[in-house]
Amino acid sequence: MNAIRTENLSKTFGRTKALVSLDLEVPEGEVLGYLGPNGSGKTTTIRLLLGLIRATSGQAEIFGLDCQARPVEAHRRVAYVPGEVSLWPSLTGAETLHLLGRVQGRVDVAYREALVDRFELDTARKVRAYSKGNRQKLILVAGLMTRADLLLLDEPTSGLDPLMERAFRECVAEARGRGQTVFLSSHLLSEVEAVCDRVAILRAGHLVETGSLRELRHLSSLQVEAELDGAVPDLTGVPGVAALQVDGSRVSCQVSGSIEPLLAALAGAGVRRLVSREPSLEELFLAHYSGKGEADAG
Amino acid sequence: MRGSEEYGERHAARVVAVTSARRAARQGFLWGLVFGITIAATELAYLSSFPTEASRLELARSMQGNTGFAAVFGPIHRLDTVAGYTQYKSMFTLVVLACIWGLLIATRVSRGEEDGGRWELFLAGQTTRARAALQATVGLGAGLVALWLPTAVAAVASGSTARVRIGVGDSLFFVTAVVAAAAVFMAVGLLAGQLAATRHDANVLGAAVLAGVYLVRMAADSDAALRPLRWLSPLGWIEELQPLTHASALPFVPIVALVGVLVVAAVGIAGRRDLGSSAFRSRDTPRARTLLLGGQGGLTLRLTRPAVIAWVAALAATGIVFGLVAQAAGNALRGSPGLEHVIERLGGTSAGAVAYLGFVFVIAAGIVAIAVAGQVSAIRNEEATGHLDNLLVRPVARWRWLAVRLTVGLGLVVGGSVLVGLTAWLGAATQRAGLGLRDLLEAGLNVAPPALFVLGIGALAYGLWPRGAIGVTYGLVVWSFLAETIASVTSSGGWLRNTSPLLHMTPAPAAAPDWTAAAWLVGLGLAAAVAGIAAFGRRDLQGA
Repeated sequence: MNAIRTENLSKTFGRTKALVSLDLEVPEGEVLGYLGPNGSGKTTTIRLLLGLIRATSGQAEIFGLDCQARPVEAHRRVAYVPGEVSLWPSLTGAETLHLLGRVQGRVDVAYREALVDRFELDTARKVRAYSKGNRQKLILVAGLMTRADLLLLDEPTSGLDPLMERAFRECVAEARGRGQTVFLSSHLLSEVEAVCDRVAILRAGHLVETGSLRELRHLSSLQVEAELDGAVPDLTGVPGVAALQVDGSRVSCQVSGSIEPLLAALAGAGVRRLVSREPSLEELFLAHYSGKGEADAG
Repeated sequence: MRGSEEYGERHAARVVAVTSARRAARQGFLWGLVFGITIAATELAYLSSFPTEASRLELARSMQGNTGFAAVFGPIHRLDTVAGYTQYKSMFTLVVLACIWGLLIATRVSRGEEDGGRWELFLAGQTTRARAALQATVGLGAGLVALWLPTAVAAVASGSTARVRIGVGDSLFFVTAVVAAAAVFMAVGLLAGQLAATRHDANVLGAAVLAGVYLVRMAADSDAALRPLRWLSPLGWIEELQPLTHASALPFVPIVALVGVLVVAAVGIAGRRDLGSSAFRSRDTPRARTLLLGGQGGLTLRLTRPAVIAWVAALAATGIVFGLVAQAAGNALRGSPGLEHVIERLGGTSAGAVAYLGFVFVIAAGIVAIAVAGQVSAIRNEEATGHLDNLLVRPVARWRWLAVRLTVGLGLVVGGSVLVGLTAWLGAATQRAGLGLRDLLEAGLNVAPPALFVLGIGALAYGLWPRGAIGVTYGLVVWSFLAETIASVTSSGGWLRNTSPLLHMTPAPAAAPDWTAAAWLVGLGLAAAVAGIAAFGRRDLQGA
């Protein structure tokens, strides 16, 4: 069964199309990275899945339950961690965790305590006395402590320091190990690259790419850098070569398709050093946005 | 196109003032229109209700020295004149509204902006904490001007007509006295915003101050021997101005001095404390209390507890005072055709203490309605701040959440109404007024239906138009008070009067409660609440 399924899901705010005909499936047990720049529709998608806003058209399901029609049943299997936390300032951290656990209906108490230790959270303080990072830790613990079947994480490491980001990645890895599904919305590509099985890339409310990192990389160019003994030959006509940059005897370019024509062209100039690598997620991501207009989504 | 724009230090520092002024002036102007209409309508209502010299003299004779009415509405002077009646009839309402508005707008532009994190942005610019507080004060000053202008235009225009004939100077003095009340509580709000940890706490602190100074003022007006107590209350100083009867500018001295002291203290504290902290010792690490945190209902009780306790205390105090002065006020009322006519028009038949209580219980109904409007405001703020998201992303149904919140409002209305009746009976019993407990409990319960109607309309507005819900609800409460006055000077008065929920209740205990009308009000309120809950379930959540 799919943990998440959307079909033709759209949301319009006034004249702004925040999300356009999203078709997405996330199988149980998968960790999906949901990528996109600010305003591309990531948070809109999550708020639609949670039933906090109403779809203009289309359908969204969580474990086969209609998110709009049966939100309470769907929420029993979901934990949500927002990137911008707004909690009751007069409650302490401990009171907040107690309340949210009781409202959710289930808490792994031992795991909660372990999470509090792991994130070095002082739960005796009132929320109003917390820094942004500590508020984020608190809501992370509140989400993870329920061991929900589906974790909806919307830029969950916002405000966390690198050590806490690492602790978060460990938690996601543990969740995957237990068979939990994770929907991780982020624009931190290193984070997504580190923990996700599959990525979906959103641009201006449209889903422009989905697949595993391996699949996406195979679809994309290789990055090649070479240092030659002599002058760099004219490579402009070589099949598959793009983004050519020449600096003295050094050359860098992107190669789509077979690398053999490039190697043949360089062989005559004496190759002293040659490095080829698959593109990083960042380069893949930027490839979808280079030269394209800013998103208009909310 | 210019490559860069640079602003001087003075310009940058004015940002807080301009931002505050824009918000305060917009609200102030709207309230000024309401105030101006109220003054003009009061003057015209007097002319139509008391058209002859004889009727005016009779009114003045019957009310003169009535400490019961003086305690609630303020001192009674020259009711045989338009000016005297206007001062008596409208000053109480306008001064209380001005105080509440002044307090709320001051905490909003100061502590509210700080709570929202926006002051951090301002303070990162070319200003300091103290200067920002001073600039906010300047902005509030613009709000006072915006309040004064339309009120003054309407008061002068109405007062200058041939039938009313109140001098321009007197009208302006009267308007200035009302606006002075707003100024005092703006200063109270500014200081409370520095002393308390949140805007909510600042509002509670300011409301407690308002209740305290009002009670002192009530005590001062309830007995001639206690009159010097007026000088202990800013509301007493405003009364002492007597702008339309025996005008005296002397009380402006303590008013201006108090405003100055409070502003200087607020600015001084703002300069000394850390951003986000409070001058009152704030315990950031209290012992965890989870008794009420077992679910959404308990959370609602915990969050609304301070406000509910404050309103319950205010209603109890109101009931006690009403009861204490009922006997004396009722004795003065006997044999007054003018007042009996008013009671009869409201549906009452009795005289004496019960007639007085029938009259002032309308005020209690208004207080309960204001309390319930506060609950609607709290409901909306829970959504606007994003706190509600934390519940609705968990297995909490929207309809259940809103129903629980409205149930708290319902409990406040019913409990508060019964409490008013009970405490009025206790107060009256100490004076051997001979009023029955059952009659006063029924009279207390009689004030609940209008508030429940307000609660229902507030819920409907919240479901359909969340960002306008607070304005609609408080607007309905204010209109409920003003409808009678405005309706009495228009040709379509009957229709206008029917739009006020307060005017659909009989003046119990002066008359038997009209449970049929009450059932209609409750039924309409309930239907509106159900429609509001349904609409809330179908719309997007909306932030501030």
